[in-house]
Amino acid sequence: MLSIKNLQASVEEKQILKGLDLDVKPGEVHAIMGPNGAGKSTLGYVLSGREGYSVDGGSASLNGADLLDMEAEERARAGLFLAFQYPVEIPGVSNLEFLKAAVDTQREARSEEKVSSKDFLKMAREACKQVDLPVDFLKRGVNEGFSGGEKKRNEIMQMLLLKPKLCVLDETDSGLDIDALQVVAEGVNSQRSPDRSFIVVTHYQRLLDYIKPDFVHVLSDGKIVRSGDASLALELEAQGYAWLQDQPAADETA
Amino acid sequence: MSKWLDSAVTRGQAVSDWLSPKRNESLELLKAASWPTRKTEAWKYVPINVWDRADLQAANTEAPVFDAIEGLGSIDLVFVDGQLQSDTIGDLPVGLSVTSIAAASEADQVWAKETFTSVKPARHLFGLVNDVLATAGVLIRVEAGAQIERPVRIVNFVTEGAEAHTRILVSVEDSASAVVIEQCSGTQLSRSTAFAEYRIGESAKLEHYRFALQTGAAMNAGGSHFELATKAELNSTLVGFGSQMSRVDIDVTHAGEYAFAKLNAIYLLDGKELFDLHSTIEHVAANGTTEENVHGIVADNSRAVFNGRIHIHRDAQKTLAELNNRNLLMSNRAEINTKPELEIYADDVRCAHGATIAEIDKKALYYMQSRGVSRAQAQIMLNFGFINELVEQMPNEILADWLRPQLRERFANMEVK
Repeated sequence: MLSIKNLQASVEEKQILKGLDLDVKPGEVHAIMGPNGAGKSTLGYVLSGREGYSVDGGSASLNGADLLDMEAEERARAGLFLAFQYPVEIPGVSNLEFLKAAVDTQREARSEEKVSSKDFLKMAREACKQVDLPVDFLKRGVNEGFSGGEKKRNEIMQMLLLKPKLCVLDETDSGLDIDALQVVAEGVNSQRSPDRSFIVVTHYQRLLDYIKPDFVHVLSDGKIVRSGDASLALELEAQGYAWLQDQPAADETA
Repeated sequence: MSKWLDSAVTRGQAVSDWLSPKRNESLELLKAASWPTRKTEAWKYVPINVWDRADLQAANTEAPVFDAIEGLGSIDLVFVDGQLQSDTIGDLPVGLSVTSIAAASEADQVWAKETFTSVKPARHLFGLVNDVLATAGVLIRVEAGAQIERPVRIVNFVTEGAEAHTRILVSVEDSASAVVIEQCSGTQLSRSTAFAEYRIGESAKLEHYRFALQTGAAMNAGGSHFELATKAELNSTLVGFGSQMSRVDIDVTHAGEYAFAKLNAIYLLDGKELFDLHSTIEHVAANGTTEENVHGIVADNSRAVFNGRIHIHRDAQKTLAELNNRNLLMSNRAEINTKPELEIYADDVRCAHGATIAEIDKKALYYMQSRGVSRAQAQIMLNFGFINELVEQMPNEILADWLRPQLRERFANMEVK
């Protein structure tokens, strides 16, 4: 599904990713944990093609296609989805209009049939219900005036409609209360399937109680320094990240 | 010197109707007025000599038919080149009177004479011309307490080579409410002025729209002027497309305490169009509120002028006034001249103003691209959204739905270039 090799990237000439390797197979859920400033969010931005993030070396491919050579919209059409840590507010553009444009363009790119406005509205309403957002949020401006939790649920709703192959969730748990966290986790879990993979980026172990990862990686100073199974997250929760400072870049790939 | 202004004075001397005593006062002012030059601040960015020099040749072209806006249920009065197209206005709701200036009853003449030139400041040169020459127009009176939901819509269309002047006088009496739509259209070389004066009584409400949709070579100067009594409420939306010369003046006077004015304005310019919006808010009485939001997009070689003045008089304590002008520049040849002006003589007020000129929000662009929407499409959606933000605030959804396709068409045309 996703293959990242020796990825190096920088922002404003400051190197953030310093040789990151990651291999995600279809159906797998990988959690990436790590302290603040390790490069967790940068990974999502680099994969999705945000302006201002320059790739200095290495490669990333999605189902064999070179991700780094594509425009941001082409990456999305190739099946990549990034759930933003801070979803952007777009006043004046309705959620429904935005979602329809995104779904239309992705279906067109995949040579699939166009969905009628009526059918789309039905799909969107169902997706709203699934993430526990009132249906009138479809009419409102994209994320405009949404609370933190509503924004995150809106991200998951987009994911439900776009049906991506690889979902990167960037600290989707931050700022969520326990109920919202469960709603988000249920949304994600409902989408788990043998041909869809997830990268769950999180600072805390809490989310992983609800979304069970197959693998857990620790990202520190731009590299993956440790990998293990779900138990690694519990270990981190108990120990914190302080031990990272004492440890040379280790590789205990599970 | 202006040949056209001289001719306006001459033509004004020949006008004679029941408004003549008031028209003559303006005629005297007009005789003393001088034609603006580049040094005249209020006309600094406007190629006003184009107006003066335009050689109008009547072409006898037909005006399009102005259909009713579906679902709106409005009372429509259509003027083509200053001629009211139909004298029959139809059944009116109880409490509403609508009549042409020419057919005004004696009772209507009484309040109309009082209102005429008393709301609109005399400083508007084209307003003075309109005072003198506008024999065509509409009087609208809403009786005290009457809640009139059916909008009154006045359309002004000017054909090629024509010159037209129309006037609207509106009295919304105490505790009444009304909806009035002013629409100007036309694309061919022409001159027109369209001015409206509104008196909004105590605790009365006015929902107002001005659609300045003339484009191309059609030149228009006009204004909507409002006087708010105690606890009066005004909710106004202005939409402007530019043309060879297009100028709108909005004046709001908070004459009574606790009045509320919400003013939204949009302009959307392309080609070599010009749109000049001057708004002046006079807070004369205390405890008034003004919220003014102006969003503009200027593309290609076009130019927008926005001058937003808020004047808070000495006795207007506890005034709350906010003015915000945001602009999107679509090309490096497009130009925006924006100037918010605050003049405050009361010491206990809350006032904010700001003007920004920006390019498109890159974060929003990336967010949309990350969902698969192409950069070009995202740009159109964002531009539209920037304008739609204010369209969504229009209290009348049917009007908003009528307007949106016209705005979309403008955006679509912008993309071709």
